[in-house]
Amino acid sequence: VSDGTAEERARGVCPIIDIDYREPRPAFEHYESLNEVREMAPILYNTTPFNGYWMVTRYDLVKEALQRADVFSNKVVSALGDPDKHLYLIPQNLDGKAHVDIRHVINPWFSPGSVTRIEPLARERAVAMIEELRPKGSCDLAVDFAMLYATEMFLAILGLPVEDGLTMLPLVETVFRGFFGGDPGEQADAAGQIKKYFEEMVADRVETPGDVRSDLITFLLQTKIGDEPVSQDDILTLCLTILLAGLDTTRSALGYIFQHLATHDDDRQLLIDHPEKIPEAIEEFLRLYPLVIQDGRYVAEDVDFHGCPMKKGDLVWLGLAQANRDPRVFDRPDEFVMDREHNKHMGFAVGAHRCLGSHFARLELILVVEEWLKRIPHFRLATDEPLMERGGQLMLKTVPLAWEV
Amino acid sequence: VRISVDEKLCSGQGRCYITAPDLLDCDDEGFVSIKGTSMEVPVGMEDAARRAANVCPEDAITVTD
Repeated sequence: VSDGTAEERARGVCPIIDIDYREPRPAFEHYESLNEVREMAPILYNTTPFNGYWMVTRYDLVKEALQRADVFSNKVVSALGDPDKHLYLIPQNLDGKAHVDIRHVINPWFSPGSVTRIEPLARERAVAMIEELRPKGSCDLAVDFAMLYATEMFLAILGLPVEDGLTMLPLVETVFRGFFGGDPGEQADAAGQIKKYFEEMVADRVETPGDVRSDLITFLLQTKIGDEPVSQDDILTLCLTILLAGLDTTRSALGYIFQHLATHDDDRQLLIDHPEKIPEAIEEFLRLYPLVIQDGRYVAEDVDFHGCPMKKGDLVWLGLAQANRDPRVFDRPDEFVMDREHNKHMGFAVGAHRCLGSHFARLELILVVEEWLKRIPHFRLATDEPLMERGGQLMLKTVPLAWEV
Repeated sequence: VRISVDEKLCSGQGRCYITAPDLLDCDDEGFVSIKGTSMEVPVGMEDAARRAANVCPEDAITVTD
């Protein structure tokens, strides 16, 4: 491996591009751009933002890198933030044994068997919220439903008061802006406020323990890793992380799913006629509309990765969205196709850091689509304007729907 | 026909036991319960085993005749 900056080492080895994926664009233009870049080369160098990053674009290589945690470290988990000022997250930023240990503790909380404890409440709240919207004949799915629902469910699974959601949301949004180019100072401030909220919750649970089966903070306070209790600081970081990871993704996924159903009558009718196919449809939505378009990684040791001379300290973009639409793996990759036989999508990433909340997310997405289609089977997009999509981690800002009352 | 699940690669995605619930189930953490081991596939469930392997995003599942 020669010396020089990563960009200098990339010259002559792979294409160099300069595309900012933090910017908002009309809906789906991110996917179009990412597809184009993937077809240019399996690995490129993107010079924006900061010092840039190696961009791994094809399914096989993305998977290989995500499964090589010894080389591609979680010290940094986004290629789009400032690597020197990033917010410390648990379990995201842990590697090796420390990561395995904490996942071992927290996995049971989010296992398929465990998340079903929330299902009755999740269904009840979904039904109530849909019934409230139904007589109105229209709503902004992103704002009037998805955001509120995801927030309530997130707080419910942690055992926190659901009414605290409205306070948390703007703080979460500020933290997110920080990940994708926003002011790091503002981000730290918002993260601090969220931690302060959890600090009060922890103090309260120390004083008066909750039910260890339904209250995450009580559970963590009573949990040991080896002989050591989980430190209160780590508990706060863990709660902050789960909040950031769980809130934005679920609501964004609902936005993409409902814009699709509103604009694809055949797909919607299929799920109305065959609700038993909804779980499989959700997997296909997770493939087709990945929100977390990239996992960033920090190169922990010098490596020649498929001809690219990467050095310790370089940043890598592992293109989950590009992998999910890679035509080498998926037929008709940009279309919604039911009953794919080999739908090995990376909507929840792959490797040891597989999305902790994936089983919970599936449960929420499935039951919302089930209950919505039962009550409001036919609906359409209530605008001719193109929808706008946030950059960084994708989200449709508004999804205006209308239906006959 | 045998089905085996790689200990290192399995990350608890859950796609296998959702796809083949009569063949596979999960442990307390959400990993398929045969992670790191193998088992004989009951007669008549060979297709289910192959479908489970086909959807594993980690390529952790091997089905052999």
